[in-house]
Amino acid sequence: MTGFQAPNVEWLTLSPLLVVFLAAVVGVLVEAFVPRAQRYAVQVGLSLAAMVGTLVASLVVFARLSPTADEAELGRVVAAGAVAADGPAVFTWVLLSVLGLLSVMLFAERKVESGVLTFAGQAAALPGTEAEREASTRGLSHTEVFPLMLFAIGGMMLFPASNDLLTMFVALEVLSLPLYLLCGLARRRRLLSQEAAMKYFLLGAFSSGFFVYGLALVYGYAGSMGFAQIAAAVSADTGSRALLLGGIGLMSVGLLFKVGAAPFHAWTPDVYQGAPTAVTAFMAAATKVAAFGAMLRLFYVAFGGNRDDWLPMVWAVAILTMVVGSVLAISQTDVKRMLAYSSIAHAGFLLTGFLGIRSLDEVAPGGLTGVSAVLFYLTTYGFTTMAAFAVVSIVRDAGGETTHLARWQGLGKESPLVAGVFAFLLLAMAGIPLTSGFTGKWAVFAAATAAGAWPVVVVAVLMSAVAAYFYVRVIVLMFFAEPVGDGPSVAVPSALTTVVIAVGTLVTLVLGIVPGALIELLGNVGVFIR
Amino acid sequence: MLSLIVFLPLAAALVLLALPRLGDSIARWTWVAVAALDLALVVGVWLAYESPAVGQLAFEEQAPWIPGVNSSYHLGVDGLSLPLIAMTAVIFLACAVYALREPDRPRLQAALFLFLQSVSMGLFVSADLILFFLFFDLSIVAMYFVIAGWGHNDAGRSAMKFFLYTFLGSLALLVGFIGLYIAADPHTFDMVELTNQAPLNGSFMAGGLVLAAILMGLAVKTPTVPFHTWLPPAHTDAPAIGSAVLAGVLLKMGTYGFVRIAMPMLPEAWRAWAWVIIVVGIISVVYGALVALAQTNLKRMIAYTSVNHMGYIALAVGAAGLVADDTAQARSIAVTGAVTQMVSHGLITGALFLLAGVLQDRASTYDMDAYGGLAGPAPRFAAFFAVGAFASLGLPGLSGFIAEFQIFTGSIAAAPVTAVALVGILLTAALFLRALQRIFTGPTRGRSTGFADLRPTETWSVGALLFLSLLIGILPRPLLDIIEPAAEAVVELVGR
Amino acid sequence: MELYTPILALMVLALGFAVFSVVVSSLTGPARYNRAKLDSYECGIEPTPQAHGGGRIPVKYYTVAMTFIIFDVEIMFLVPWAIYFDELALFGFLAMLLFLVNITIAYVYEFKRGGLDWD
Repeated sequence: MTGFQAPNVEWLTLSPLLVVFLAAVVGVLVEAFVPRAQRYAVQVGLSLAAMVGTLVASLVVFARLSPTADEAELGRVVAAGAVAADGPAVFTWVLLSVLGLLSVMLFAERKVESGVLTFAGQAAALPGTEAEREASTRGLSHTEVFPLMLFAIGGMMLFPASNDLLTMFVALEVLSLPLYLLCGLARRRRLLSQEAAMKYFLLGAFSSGFFVYGLALVYGYAGSMGFAQIAAAVSADTGSRALLLGGIGLMSVGLLFKVGAAPFHAWTPDVYQGAPTAVTAFMAAATKVAAFGAMLRLFYVAFGGNRDDWLPMVWAVAILTMVVGSVLAISQTDVKRMLAYSSIAHAGFLLTGFLGIRSLDEVAPGGLTGVSAVLFYLTTYGFTTMAAFAVVSIVRDAGGETTHLARWQGLGKESPLVAGVFAFLLLAMAGIPLTSGFTGKWAVFAAATAAGAWPVVVVAVLMSAVAAYFYVRVIVLMFFAEPVGDGPSVAVPSALTTVVIAVGTLVTLVLGIVPGALIELLGNVGVFIR
Repeated sequence: MLSLIVFLPLAAALVLLALPRLGDSIARWTWVAVAALDLALVVGVWLAYESPAVGQLAFEEQAPWIPGVNSSYHLGVDGLSLPLIAMTAVIFLACAVYALREPDRPRLQAALFLFLQSVSMGLFVSADLILFFLFFDLSIVAMYFVIAGWGHNDAGRSAMKFFLYTFLGSLALLVGFIGLYIAADPHTFDMVELTNQAPLNGSFMAGGLVLAAILMGLAVKTPTVPFHTWLPPAHTDAPAIGSAVLAGVLLKMGTYGFVRIAMPMLPEAWRAWAWVIIVVGIISVVYGALVALAQTNLKRMIAYTSVNHMGYIALAVGAAGLVADDTAQARSIAVTGAVTQMVSHGLITGALFLLAGVLQDRASTYDMDAYGGLAGPAPRFAAFFAVGAFASLGLPGLSGFIAEFQIFTGSIAAAPVTAVALVGILLTAALFLRALQRIFTGPTRGRSTGFADLRPTETWSVGALLFLSLLIGILPRPLLDIIEPAAEAVVELVGR
Repeated sequence: MELYTPILALMVLALGFAVFSVVVSSLTGPARYNRAKLDSYECGIEPTPQAHGGGRIPVKYYTVAMTFIIFDVEIMFLVPWAIYFDELALFGFLAMLLFLVNITIAYVYEFKRGGLDWD
């Protein structure tokens, strides 16, 4: 046996991750030692500081990205081969830090629930019992949501940066477990929320099982967990192809579940509807970023050599996802469910961009690759959807959030500004020009067409039109329908939610008008190291 | 200069939106003033205009926008777009004047129409495909709100149908644009550059597919049979000025796309599929006229005549694709006729829809059978409508004649079979005469009793449009002098 | 194959012991049944509340069970580390320390928030 060599850990490169995890652990200690009255302030301050810290650290790492020996590739593999800090990974770090910062603000909103968090006062108290009422009168709040969220963010940041299968799996679990828990912590409609958490957990655990099974098969094929070694084995075409294909298939199940692609989408509407809206916003925006980042790396880096084997599967899944998401969204009567199906449809569009995989020599330098198209779309979608759910969280009536579409009738008369912002965000999701939705859609279509996946693009075009129908229908409801009964009311949120909505809307607008800078940036950094 | 023309209305719209306490009449007059100012600027451009070289533009403005994909903020005009800009400015001014009596949310309406004017102007001057698409799609959104917000009857449903149909069309267009972008070397969205490159010449299959996508997008907007089904309900339920803009300006976006994008950028594919376009044109002409003949709803009837008139344009540009050595001049005449028809149809149909709006305003119905002998109580209305109808059916001395005469001269010379479409003119004449007879002649009865004649705002707005049509009919030269060099350029480019 | 012989022997031994004890005890032992003894997981006491009466099991059991699993896993890591302690040297020591601190923080949280209070 050879002697043990202590691995070299690049602390600076890993600092974005370390900041988040450290803050999360400190958050747990805060829960243990800080008196109840001060916990909210300490936790919010800590989380905001952590997110700003990780944003700064990510930007520093991003600025220090330098070409490796091979000219075209930026970044380097760190932590003994476990983490790849390359362009796409560090870009998702930056993106996730910003989305995480906005999520912390949404989580910290207390004004709409008159002074308490929108999370359950005491999760262990049964719904409808004396214990629950007592927790409610005492004004209890679970401030554990903040460390939980930080853990999830940490997992999400590790997920797309992981450079071997084991790290990827650990990251998957670190990001998933807190989310399962967060889903069940709604203050209102708790049974629905707990049901959502249960469904998400069971299905999520099941899909993780698939992922591990696939991981084992791929390991059996390549004899290594590292992506570089797997890629080498794939191009050398040694070993049993049955193992490889089985492994790819099973691992895709796990990943496609996380991104909410059909036919593994069944959890999405239930979970998005039942989870507290702040958590839904966080999940919809950040989880997609992380999962697509990881999927890109796994398929482009490790399995890029045999893409002819798995591309047909992605074609089918992309088409199915777009059709299922767009068509089923039409019949939804609940805003959150509708947005959930829309997120499924968006997963389909992202998969369309995912099909833009080409060999490096086919792409002009700085040209639009599948990676940069998908990352661009993720940026646009993340901000838009977060702002949209933030708006949902402030449209309320006596029973809390009022998500039934019929109750949104006449919102344009009640509150033209909020309805106007929501209409703008919906138009962005429909892909109307001057919004980021259009530029995003355009990027993925262009990437997919360039790679010859035009039949999928044709379906995407058709489904965009179908999707436009249900977005516009909501706009009609808000502006051209008479309110029923008292009509909806818009709670005046604190500065926190206002900032989230403002930032999301602004980014949607800016990326719609001047997307050039970001597209160019992604063109330069959107290459994985191998 | 062009940027000013494009963004002046938008700036005014933002100001109107930002001042919710503004009085209604100030908002209305602001709208008229801005529209007039925009028209004055366009006239300035017209006077200073000199025809650019083939494949070039005048008054060019260019600024980097999305450099990563070679898309820039690039504006410019030539003989194809300048007449359309002028027509757009005129129609929007007419609408602003017409709407001076609008009681329903005049401030918002003014802002929306000013926005729509910016978008329309922007589309006709844009020289970059992404910019073009952006304006193309925004026009759909704005028009959707016009119909849904100020329409009548089943406006929500019609607006939705309009939106979905044209939005799907626009997405097809986007796919086509992406196809052009990818085929070009170096990749670019710049129209001038794409025109010079004609990137898909030599690849029959890809060229055909890209042309199909672009044609589908444009055909929905134009609309030609079989993509026209959104048009009648949209027009029937839209407010008068909405219909005028929809028919006058928005439909031209489709036909303008034929001469600006499809023909010069995909010449080989265009030539290969010219017969398909001619056939679609002929069908649109005859079918549109026949269905219009069967209508009892006046506004629906005018809407179907739009299908018919747009068919002439499709016919002419299709015939321009039948390249033969001895027909170059004929084809150039056909294209000139097509562009003239765009202008002429905008003016005439705009006027007719505004007049139809008067019916809705006074008696809340477009049903021709509900009227009779209307010439008695409303002589000015009757006279204006008669002039509009005659212009539309192509009576010499009015702009419709100039346009259709050139279209048929050119097309029949290039392909004699297009003479079949002459039936369309006959049918149009029949249907307009029948409509005139039903509504205006005979004893005054039904809703005609107590019908108030045109008010000054209506007289001036409709009168101006009809006067311009008359002017073009009598003195077509200034207009044709601008169009002809550009039409020759298009024909030359298609012949590559 | 020789490597596996002891394992095989152990398996046979274990199986033999299990079968032997069950068979012998049922043959020789007294058989006085009551309701408590017939219940599943019998331990001689009647379970409260009745499982089939829709009763819920206090969440306390789960926290204890989870705490047990955490320490269980901890041992799993500690044993190999202890065996190769010399070779892993300072790096291994610090890594293991970090791991233990993390586990302890979770434990402290549970303890401070009353997760281990039985009543």
